[in-house]
Amino acid sequence: MPREIALFDALLPTLFLVFLASLLLQAAIDWLVGRFGFYRNVWHPPLFRLAVFVCVFCGLGLLVTR
Amino acid sequence: MNDRFLPAPFGNQRSEIVAWLRGAGLDWLFVAKASFAILLTGWLAMRFSLEQPGTAMMTVAIVIHPQSGMVIAKSFYRTLGTLAGAVMALLIVAAFPQERAMFLLSMALWIGLCAGGASLYRNFKSYGFVLAGYTAAIIALPVVNQPQDVFQSAVMRVSEVTLGIFVAGVVSDALFPQRLGDVLRESVRSQFSSFIAFVRDSLRGALPRGDLERAHLRGVREVVQVETQLSSVVFEDAGVRQRSPRVRRLNHAFMAASTSYQSLHHLLNRLQDESHSRVLRRLMTLAGDLGEALGVPGSEPRMASQTGALAEGLAALRARQPARIASVREGLAERSDLLDFDTGAELLARIADELQDYTAAYAVLATPQAVRQSAAPLTPFVHANDWIGAALATLRGTVTMLATGAFWIATAWPEGAGMMLIATIFSCLMATVPDPLRAIRYMLFGYALGMLAALVCVYTVLVRMDGFELFAAGLLPFMLPGLYLRARPVMPGVGAGFMLAFLYTVAAQNPMKFDALHSLNNSLGQLMGIATAGVSFMVFSGVSDSPWLLRRLLRKLRLQLVRACSAPLPGLLARFESATRDVAAQIVAHTRSASDESRNMLAWSLSVQEAGRAVVELRTQLATADVPTSLHDCIDRALAALAALYAKPNRERYALTRNLVSTALDEAQAFPVLLGPLHLIRLALLDVGSLLANEFDVPPRLGEEIAHAA
Repeated sequence: MPREIALFDALLPTLFLVFLASLLLQAAIDWLVGRFGFYRNVWHPPLFRLAVFVCVFCGLGLLVTR
Repeated sequence: MNDRFLPAPFGNQRSEIVAWLRGAGLDWLFVAKASFAILLTGWLAMRFSLEQPGTAMMTVAIVIHPQSGMVIAKSFYRTLGTLAGAVMALLIVAAFPQERAMFLLSMALWIGLCAGGASLYRNFKSYGFVLAGYTAAIIALPVVNQPQDVFQSAVMRVSEVTLGIFVAGVVSDALFPQRLGDVLRESVRSQFSSFIAFVRDSLRGALPRGDLERAHLRGVREVVQVETQLSSVVFEDAGVRQRSPRVRRLNHAFMAASTSYQSLHHLLNRLQDESHSRVLRRLMTLAGDLGEALGVPGSEPRMASQTGALAEGLAALRARQPARIASVREGLAERSDLLDFDTGAELLARIADELQDYTAAYAVLATPQAVRQSAAPLTPFVHANDWIGAALATLRGTVTMLATGAFWIATAWPEGAGMMLIATIFSCLMATVPDPLRAIRYMLFGYALGMLAALVCVYTVLVRMDGFELFAAGLLPFMLPGLYLRARPVMPGVGAGFMLAFLYTVAAQNPMKFDALHSLNNSLGQLMGIATAGVSFMVFSGVSDSPWLLRRLLRKLRLQLVRACSAPLPGLLARFESATRDVAAQIVAHTRSASDESRNMLAWSLSVQEAGRAVVELRTQLATADVPTSLHDCIDRALAALAALYAKPNRERYALTRNLVSTALDEAQAFPVLLGPLHLIRLALLDVGSLLANEFDVPPRLGEEIAHAA
């Protein structure tokens, strides 16, 4: 993948798009997990959520920029 | 109320000290988190070589809040607002790159419209509007002489703002979060137990009017507060999001129960004199039953799981109430006595029903698993918006901007842009607070302090510092007092103003620029900007300072009743209740407490609420019951007269309505289901009578009117 993508002739870093995609993905995971009450078994839900987001973003980012 | 002054055992004092320490600890935790977030943002912004790390740091200072749900909600709307503002700035600059008059005019219009939109909302949505307004100014004004740079400017400002938002969100949510959900749970819990205790303790006798109004005020505040917290807490976690319909239901049940309870007390207060003692004595017996069902003092359930006894007591009471009412009713012969008694008994039965609902809604909160919501869709809390107020805010924003812009063009003052920017920010931000002039005074005080602190900090400390660690160490001692003031509820606005001015004036950059002349000129521009905003609030006064707008609010409150008389029935009751409470809450926010006008307004809002509920119930009964046409017409006439009276009260309409309601009461003797609501309407009318009497300076003759109307 290229490092930057031209969107209407504005150069966007590819990682920025990955970041947006991971936000969406994280929101979906968050909804799903909250829907089944999984957060009640988690000690620190916000930290858990942040960790999930970091995992998603890093995983996707590594995949894209490999 | 006075037990604070009674000699308390030592254990009590100790727990008080512990509570105080815990509160102070939370404050300092907030200060630590906020300074960490601000410095971290500054470091990241410099690392990413953004143009103005100061803007990112300012964003953190504005967004950060002791409760993490608040931060995330605020951040969400702030991001949306920033993006909208950036797009608008690009459009405006692209449309008028060389035409300064058109440029300023369109900018002023956009900002005015955003300020107007902001005044229509009461949570962070309004903040999003404010942001959309002044972000456009922040982006476009600095590059007004180099329009080709506007895209770069937009990208930079948006990056800085979103970086600030992101860091603030992560820090406040992941590091020792103070959950808004806990606060909400606590306020729902105290609402429940204090209302149950209030009902039980006050059932023993009639409440003085003042106590009743205070209770009403508290109820209004609590309901609106819960609703506002609920709209922020959904950003905090998914569990709360799923439970929020239940909290809404609880809130509705509370509104219903407290309104009926107020009606009961109005009835009891009217029955205080000698001639009604027979009815009063009997009603007090029934009220005593209800009081017993609510348990002994101190037994009110704290946790949602402990409501079992209360629910059982209420159910048992409801089961034996009809027989009890029939037995107590014996011995009453006079028609007016019977009417009064029936109304009171029905109110008591309804209160028991509604308390049962309220208890059930509260108990549901304790069940952990998401129960499928009952099928009945819940009408949302309706806010009653004031379009004229919004138009005024629009006008104020536009005129402020145009005036400062004209001054800038006329004098060609290099700091004109800074002045304009600050004037815009303040006239937008302050448009949404209850008492803007007072808020601006506090903010101005904080702002001046912050500016001084920044000048001292930059030119005595920062000039000697080298590297980010020392820079941070130099900033920290100056930020601490401002952040501490933000954490404390005393003098709201001083801390915010301090932080805003401090970070704006320091204007952190990499490498730092030290230009004393520029800093001083800039400060002068900012002060001029705030002064302009203050003047614009004096010229276009907000609701609090203008009797005209207050009268409009009052009129709007009364129009709710007109709507109750004519709007389609499904969901009407919930819409009516929430809209009246919203207007009442605006009135509470905009009037000085204990002033004559606020008392007058509260009396009206009570009367509107009581009459409105009765009207809705009457119309519901009419729709289902098999009623002869003549009676139907008679009641319709009475309702039309009632609507006309509330739309524009005067004495002739009052007399007409009273007669019509009285006739309807006579005609409806054969239909007991209609009698209760009709009687309540009559009660509310008597309230209107006393209000009108106050306004026209005629001594009230209530006793006589009761005798006549019955």
